[in-house]
Amino acid sequence: MEPEELTGPAFEAAVGAGAGYADVRWVREETEGLTVTDDRVDDLEAEDSSGLGVRVLVDGRWGFAASAVVDPGRARDLARRAVEVARASAATGGEPVRLAPTEPAVARWSTPVTRDPFAVPLAVRVELLLAACDAQRSVPGLAYAKATVDLWRRRTVLWSSEGARLDQTVTQTGAGIEAVAVGDGDLQQRSWPNSFRGQYQAGGWEVVESAELVANAPRVAAEAVQLLAAPPLPERVTTVILDGQQLALQVHESVGHPLELDRILGMEAAYAGTSFVTPGDLGRLRYGSPAMSVTADATTPGGLGTFAFDDEGVPAQRFPLVTDGVVAGFLTSRETTLDGAGSGGAMRADGWASMPLIRMTNVNLEPGQGSLDELIADTPDGLLLSTNRSWSIDDRRVNFQFGVEAAWEIRGGRLGRLYRNATYDGRTRELWGSLDAVCGLEDWVVWGVPNCGKGQPFQNARVGHGAAPARFHNVHVGVRR
Amino acid sequence: MTGFGAEGLLVVAETALAVEGADDAEALVYRQAGGLTRFAASRIHQSAWREDLWVRVRVVVDGNRVGTATVHSADPEAVRATARRAAEVARTMPPDPGYPGMPGPAAYPTAGRHDQATADADPATRADLVAGVVRRLPDGVAAAGACETREVEIALANTRGVRAAGATTAASFSILADAGSGTGWAEGTEPALADLHVAALGERAARKAVDSREPRDLAPGTYPVVLEPNAASVMVQWLGWMGFGAKAYDEGRSFLIGRLGRRVCSPLVTLVDDATAADTIGVGFDFEGVPKRRVTLIDRGVAASLVYDFRAATAHGVEPTGHGLPAPSAEGALPMHLTLLPGQTPQAELVAGLERGLLVTRFHYTNLVNLMETTITGMTRDGTFLVEDGRVVGAVRNLRFTQSVLEALSAVRAVGAETEMATEDGYGAARAPALAIDRFAFSSATTF
Repeated sequence: MEPEELTGPAFEAAVGAGAGYADVRWVREETEGLTVTDDRVDDLEAEDSSGLGVRVLVDGRWGFAASAVVDPGRARDLARRAVEVARASAATGGEPVRLAPTEPAVARWSTPVTRDPFAVPLAVRVELLLAACDAQRSVPGLAYAKATVDLWRRRTVLWSSEGARLDQTVTQTGAGIEAVAVGDGDLQQRSWPNSFRGQYQAGGWEVVESAELVANAPRVAAEAVQLLAAPPLPERVTTVILDGQQLALQVHESVGHPLELDRILGMEAAYAGTSFVTPGDLGRLRYGSPAMSVTADATTPGGLGTFAFDDEGVPAQRFPLVTDGVVAGFLTSRETTLDGAGSGGAMRADGWASMPLIRMTNVNLEPGQGSLDELIADTPDGLLLSTNRSWSIDDRRVNFQFGVEAAWEIRGGRLGRLYRNATYDGRTRELWGSLDAVCGLEDWVVWGVPNCGKGQPFQNARVGHGAAPARFHNVHVGVRR
Repeated sequence: MTGFGAEGLLVVAETALAVEGADDAEALVYRQAGGLTRFAASRIHQSAWREDLWVRVRVVVDGNRVGTATVHSADPEAVRATARRAAEVARTMPPDPGYPGMPGPAAYPTAGRHDQATADADPATRADLVAGVVRRLPDGVAAAGACETREVEIALANTRGVRAAGATTAASFSILADAGSGTGWAEGTEPALADLHVAALGERAARKAVDSREPRDLAPGTYPVVLEPNAASVMVQWLGWMGFGAKAYDEGRSFLIGRLGRRVCSPLVTLVDDATAADTIGVGFDFEGVPKRRVTLIDRGVAASLVYDFRAATAHGVEPTGHGLPAPSAEGALPMHLTLLPGQTPQAELVAGLERGLLVTRFHYTNLVNLMETTITGMTRDGTFLVEDGRVVGAVRNLRFTQSVLEALSAVRAVGAETEMATEDGYGAARAPALAIDRFAFSSATTF
């Protein structure tokens, strides 16, 4: 059945039942996740999920209904149910929702893909991951080795009552390895290119090839074993360089989320939380040092937050969030935007079953100058903190604590001894205020964060963060006892 | 758009079993439908109804080559195509020497509860509950939260003769009350909507919000605490994830290594996993069609048992406990119906017994720091109070804890008599009482 055979009846039924505005999304998401542990395939999840979501405004109240079980008749029922939901939402009163205008778009778009990852034979994928595990296990002392590949392809057909007719296909691919060493009551892991199943980007099999899993496997395994014998990181205040992988998550938690306007206005208060930022901070609040410039960019090549149109049909945009350390913008939608401003194009749903929410696109720390090697050489005393292991931040995004897989001492501009169980903590504006250097484009990578949680019902978004290693001063590391 | 009925889902499952060339086949069908009404600033701002149905087919060829495929559809042809795809995957996969076969037929215990009124709850019912709570808020207090009702139907069939079907319902209401410089929280989850005392939850959250106004600074450090059930439940959920599964234990990623059969915490602590309890949410079989059994994980402070899926049980020569995830699973078995058994002390008396310490309503954004030490971190939120001489004397600004769960449970002084079910970030649920703990480590503080 073609999507239009469902979107059309749903759309007509929604308008016929009294919706003042309606958008209908048919989404098909194909996913394949492959996990190899040591010498066997531990898990293969191949999933094909399609369904219809109908969102309506009735007298300024939202209603939404979605189902995987659809035919044209059920699509009409679904639309009428969305209207019923919206009418019930009037029970608490309040100002009706108004949508900022947007030009209805009619377009098709697909992620540029060099090699369709779903067309790569499963046997080839299995062989690659077995080889990556073999290469890790060539290093003595591992408890186990893992290797993973994840493929996602999402096609979205969006119709709106304003005339939008969009057909968009986003393809994303990820791969990684994880070496685990266990002993003396401790567990240490080292990952590549990133933790939590690796690096993810928009694109095809070329993303997997660029990860060079087999080539990096012996080093990664050796570092896991070395970590087990390394001393725990002592508590102190020092200079730290965060590698790009860790910095991406630091940007995510302490810059991206606090600048989501729905959080700022309290719409996510009960679950994800709010923000220490207020609407009046725009153009005024010093968020960080002048070395800090952050951009929301849904056009970044390779980003997990890259698309042509968001799930309200608003075109992808690039705009500053922080310029030279000062708040310059927010992530917005058609409903949740500043007076007189249009949507920033950040409304995204995690599939057919979910209402779109304001989500990060690619929230990128703009690059500075120089390489990581040069930055280390320029650091007399400090630590290089590498690859996220743990994260937590308060509900207004002020107090954070991160754990990393590995910490190397920097002494006299050179890397020294390795420490395990490293954490650092602080407050958002104090950390960003201490930023004095960001490496240049040669070390700038768009890292994928595939597990951003928000909303009720819970939604999981995949977002991107361009980042190069950066240096911060007076950072507390280790846990106070 | 009424449910298929669990028995109706079995018909869908059986559609998938006739796969040419298969030595074994299994179909797991999962349907969830329900509505969620969400409010913020005391008005409903998002409201949704949704229905998902998926069929996961596992096919084995050549004795031990295993493939799976999942489709979100009940259409017979789509289900049969998914079974063929699983067979194609299986033929591509390397042999799995440890493939244990599939479970056979069994008798299933009664588990969970299906309440038709909860399954049928309409958006107006949820909206009216929200509106009623909002209307009763004191002046100067606004509220955010969600009211959810849902029905889950599960069926599983395999070529070894398993035919399992069950249904359950759940209703939850959560409210964050905002009184300006203070916030308060309350949450309830029950199998039936009628058992949720929504008005009382609203009153509790509002009272906490008012009491949380004008918080004072408190230096980070180690304090005696009373964790209310919501916070205690989060600790229990983390512990459940950190190593009771036999596969995790075998792979070395379990805090229980070297600790099974030994004392790991206070004798006041008994932790069970019990899907058959009347007050939990679930069905009587796991995702492999094995009957769920009550397992005592920690027995009066002693680490007592692991949980086993079919593969791990076969490898260990023991009976599976009914904790399998859809197989094959990289994670292995997990306890998903945790209950920390209540004690004898009324919750109010736990606070009365605190000379100087903190009363914690809720945690936020908890995460693992060190698995083998069972150390987690997170923030307090929506009601953190200083207690002196057994009385709450005021609110404090929120604190970050970085604390070993086992060490906290070792320092339990008393266990509350009342339990509540709580969820953590949308993953799973656990029932727990309040806990009085003599030493709890707060590592830093925030600004509100």
